[in-house]
Amino acid sequence: MKIPYMIFLVLVSTPVNSVLAVNTSIDTLLQTYASQGVTEVDAEQGKHLWQKTFQSNGEYSERRCASCHTEDLTAPGKHIKTGKLIEPMAPSVNPQRLTDNKKIEKWFKRNCKWTMGRECTVQEKADFLLYLNK
Amino acid sequence: MKYTLAISAVIFTIGFVTIPVVWSDDDHHWGDMEEYRHRSTGVATITDTIYREECGSCHMAYSPALLPASSWIKMMSGLENHFGDNAELDAETERSITDLLLANSADRSDYRRARKFNRAIQVSDAPLRISETPYFRHEHDEIPGRMVTGNPKVKSFSHCNACHSRAEQGSFNEHDIRIPGYGRWDD
Amino acid sequence: MIKPTQIKVWDPVVRFFHWSLVSAFFIAYITEEDLLSVHTWAGYLIVGLLVVRIIWGFIGTHYARFSDFVHSPSTIIQFLKNTLALRAKRYLGHNPAGGAMVMLLIFSLLATTTSGILLLGAEEQAGPVANWFTQAGGYWGNALEELHEFFANFTVLLVFIHIAGVIVESLIHKENLLSAMLNGFKPADTRTHEESL
Repeated sequence: MKIPYMIFLVLVSTPVNSVLAVNTSIDTLLQTYASQGVTEVDAEQGKHLWQKTFQSNGEYSERRCASCHTEDLTAPGKHIKTGKLIEPMAPSVNPQRLTDNKKIEKWFKRNCKWTMGRECTVQEKADFLLYLNK
Repeated sequence: MKYTLAISAVIFTIGFVTIPVVWSDDDHHWGDMEEYRHRSTGVATITDTIYREECGSCHMAYSPALLPASSWIKMMSGLENHFGDNAELDAETERSITDLLLANSADRSDYRRARKFNRAIQVSDAPLRISETPYFRHEHDEIPGRMVTGNPKVKSFSHCNACHSRAEQGSFNEHDIRIPGYGRWDD
Repeated sequence: MIKPTQIKVWDPVVRFFHWSLVSAFFIAYITEEDLLSVHTWAGYLIVGLLVVRIIWGFIGTHYARFSDFVHSPSTIIQFLKNTLALRAKRYLGHNPAGGAMVMLLIFSLLATTTSGILLLGAEEQAGPVANWFTQAGGYWGNALEELHEFFANFTVLLVFIHIAGVIVESLIHKENLLSAMLNGFKPADTRTHEESL
């Protein structure tokens, strides 16, 4: 479902929305993206990207976000190589998630590059955040 | 009176074995037994939270004392391809972690274990894999493959804390080893 | 009953040596390489103690000398047989089995400390023979480690047998050998156990 971005921001920042959105601290990031040209945000797009398979010349020829994080955002994942436990992505299960913008940007940079071979666009990042924010 | 001689013998012994140790104990506080104990068979525990967070998010935060400075410099300059993964950091964090690594590297540590790691590495080498350094290989050369690479709970020699229960505190004492599915290994 | 005369059997050198050795060996055994400096110094002390005891075994008081308690294997075996038959003679100094134990312990401790010093050189490039070894470990390190561990544990075995022997001997001849090693005195011989041939 496509939501006009401005309306989305309003919804997200009202206290009433603490029922609908688990946390509102991704606001600042989304505002930054808005200032960089993002007008619409789509959680479905985010989900689609999350599950999409990308090809690589490196050690793992097929890569997806779900390779480490799994498709179930409420479940723990594990690092594809080391097996180290990765806490669930969903803030509803793991309240620490999506609270530290610096951390979010760091992992976007690393993991987009590993999975997709390039950095994510701001549109993609916004879509991801909307999808993950449950 | 009956026990005088025996007691003085015991006291003499204790004095004999502790005084030279305490006397020559360089810059470490001789009252700090915890640190001293680790100095023998382990390496320094790194408590720096940034280091533990950044370098421990995908694997155990390896102690800087396990590789020489040259290795760390090489590793930190190639984080986009960190053993096939992307481990890039922002410039500030990268700098502070590099500083920490170099200050505590194997060639700068006075921990016995670290010195052993360092001594076996050629000065011109800058190995990136701890598990491929000569001292590491020497210490692990009797372990059957099925217990490590063939063991789904371990998988690799890089996975120190799978068997070394106190690896994250820098201790690799043989008495703390429990190989999953096989049990202890103190020979 | 008239209290028997107390005879000074174990001189202070023997006793001080004995209890220092007990402490030093105990400390060495429990510290292993976890407290290597302490362990090494305990080892050096043991070497020193052994040197003193061996010298004393030639020039010391009567019961401290090897000549008093070193016997031929046949004598030792005969003594053991007699002990089993509860008719062994009582000795004021070390009996033949005890004498054999002294020699075995000296041997085992020398083997342990020697292998230890070599091992220190091989694995740590430290200690008196540090410069015999150019690089860490290798074949020597492993072999020496095994040797050192073996003799350390063999010594422990000897210690257990030694303690058992002391207990058995104390019971059979109704005396307190522990007390004797603490204050040096044993009651004079008033018993009439005879050694059978």
